[in-house]
Amino acid sequence: MPKSLRTALLLAPSALLMGVFLVGLYRLVHSSLVIDGQFDFSQYSAILNRPDYIAMLGRTIRIAALTTLLSLVIGFPTAYYVARYGGNRNFLLLLIVFPWLVSIVVRSYGWVVILGPRGLINGLLIWGGLTDRPIKLMYNDFGVILGLVHVLCPFMIIAILSVLMQISRSLEEASMSLGGRPAYSFRTVLLPLSLPGILTGITLVYLMATGAIVTPLLLGGLGDTMLGTEIFQEVMHFFDYPKAAALATVLLITALAVVIPIQILEHWVARCLSDGADQ
Amino acid sequence: MTTRIIAISVLLFLPLPIVIVVLSSFTSAGYLSFPIKGLSLRWYGEFLGSADWLRVLGTSALLAFIGATVSTAASFAAAWAVVRHRIRFGATYETILLTPLIFPHAAIGVIMIVTLSSVGWLGTFTGLVLVHCILTIPYAYRPVAAALRKADPALEEAAASLGARPWRTFWQVSLPAVRPGLVTSLLFSFIISFDEVTVTMFLVGPFVMTLPVQVFSEVLESASPVIAAVSATLVLFTTVMVFLLDRVIGIQFFVERD
Repeated sequence: MPKSLRTALLLAPSALLMGVFLVGLYRLVHSSLVIDGQFDFSQYSAILNRPDYIAMLGRTIRIAALTTLLSLVIGFPTAYYVARYGGNRNFLLLLIVFPWLVSIVVRSYGWVVILGPRGLINGLLIWGGLTDRPIKLMYNDFGVILGLVHVLCPFMIIAILSVLMQISRSLEEASMSLGGRPAYSFRTVLLPLSLPGILTGITLVYLMATGAIVTPLLLGGLGDTMLGTEIFQEVMHFFDYPKAAALATVLLITALAVVIPIQILEHWVARCLSDGADQ
Repeated sequence: MTTRIIAISVLLFLPLPIVIVVLSSFTSAGYLSFPIKGLSLRWYGEFLGSADWLRVLGTSALLAFIGATVSTAASFAAAWAVVRHRIRFGATYETILLTPLIFPHAAIGVIMIVTLSSVGWLGTFTGLVLVHCILTIPYAYRPVAAALRKADPALEEAAASLGARPWRTFWQVSLPAVRPGLVTSLLFSFIISFDEVTVTMFLVGPFVMTLPVQVFSEVLESASPVIAAVSATLVLFTTVMVFLLDRVIGIQFFVERD
């Protein structure tokens, strides 16, 4: 068998699977733009003309951005602590990787059990006599953001950790011993070197938060829809596939408008860092 | 100091809801409430005595097994072409294999509805297998490609020059050299498939259902502690897989860059 034929046969299964995905992507965009063989923008103008959809889009971006920011704020120190931990680091890694691999349904349900009207916190508060009526801890934005941060921040921690583990501690110590204050060393050494990991983390968390369905449906309020939950309702309850396709395309644009620039930035940063390392 | 406080809180915060779910599954009361009323295994009895739940568990396990096997095999073949045949645009091809990672799950769900309904596979087991293969390829590809890059092709040349036929060289030299990578790909894609819910819930139907999707719809509709028992079982599956992954390749695998 000639080598080129063997190569083609080896690539065939994965190419077929990716082909199915990419053709599906094309058909999704196509089905939202072309109706009965005619170019038709009405799906999109219908979406853009509805104030409730614009509000939902704003809400989705707001919640995704806040989730990403909070994940970064708590994720960076955690990654730093684990990367510099002198003891049994594998145990700490387990505390991050294990929850990350548990199904998001189970983790979101865990928050329902903790925050719900008959949940752990309200149970303890009532039992302790601190309140006689359950406090509303979920079915609002607080519940959604808490749940999303919990579900997604492991992506941030793991992305940053994989970079920090490579940055040698001696670089940082060198900077400090040359008189750099901790804050200065952080800003000039640690932060630039860990930027690729931070950008990967931001990409993943923002992406998954904009397209989340399970966590917002379980922990969010009834009327507080996000793009993902709205798409799910259109498909499951109204069987309105063209509208779902248009909303899914809007979701793709919302996500990729942020993700692609960050990816380009990340490549640029990585190139600058490797140029710097060569000199 | 602040770093330490944040880090320790986060490390306790991450497993917290999982621990709470597992603990609450042992309640003896008819509804979940705190403090827990008494300990019993009655909800596990209810779960394991229900033909519906068991069938769904079986579907999920079979789906994850087939999906993981197919996507690991496809990834292995692709990695062989990229690493050993040094195809042109190999790096680009590797990026394409990772594309499912940069699409929001809700959008992938709709893409897959469009795809599966055009061939009549919506709501079928075959359709779920296809979609789970696509979703797990990014996870299956990396470990097996990394293992193949580390393996020494000189060993294969040595076996061939000693007279081993190509298939014998493959089975007795190439395959053992990448076995840890293959097992990692299998376990990793099994977990991803077994736990997947956001895309899958668009594609299930009256004839096929997976465990996480069933848990999701039960949480929306009822508050029965049987959900806690089923969730604890899902956690148990993940625990076993993480334990195996740690034994095969080590937990640091997840934070390594190649």
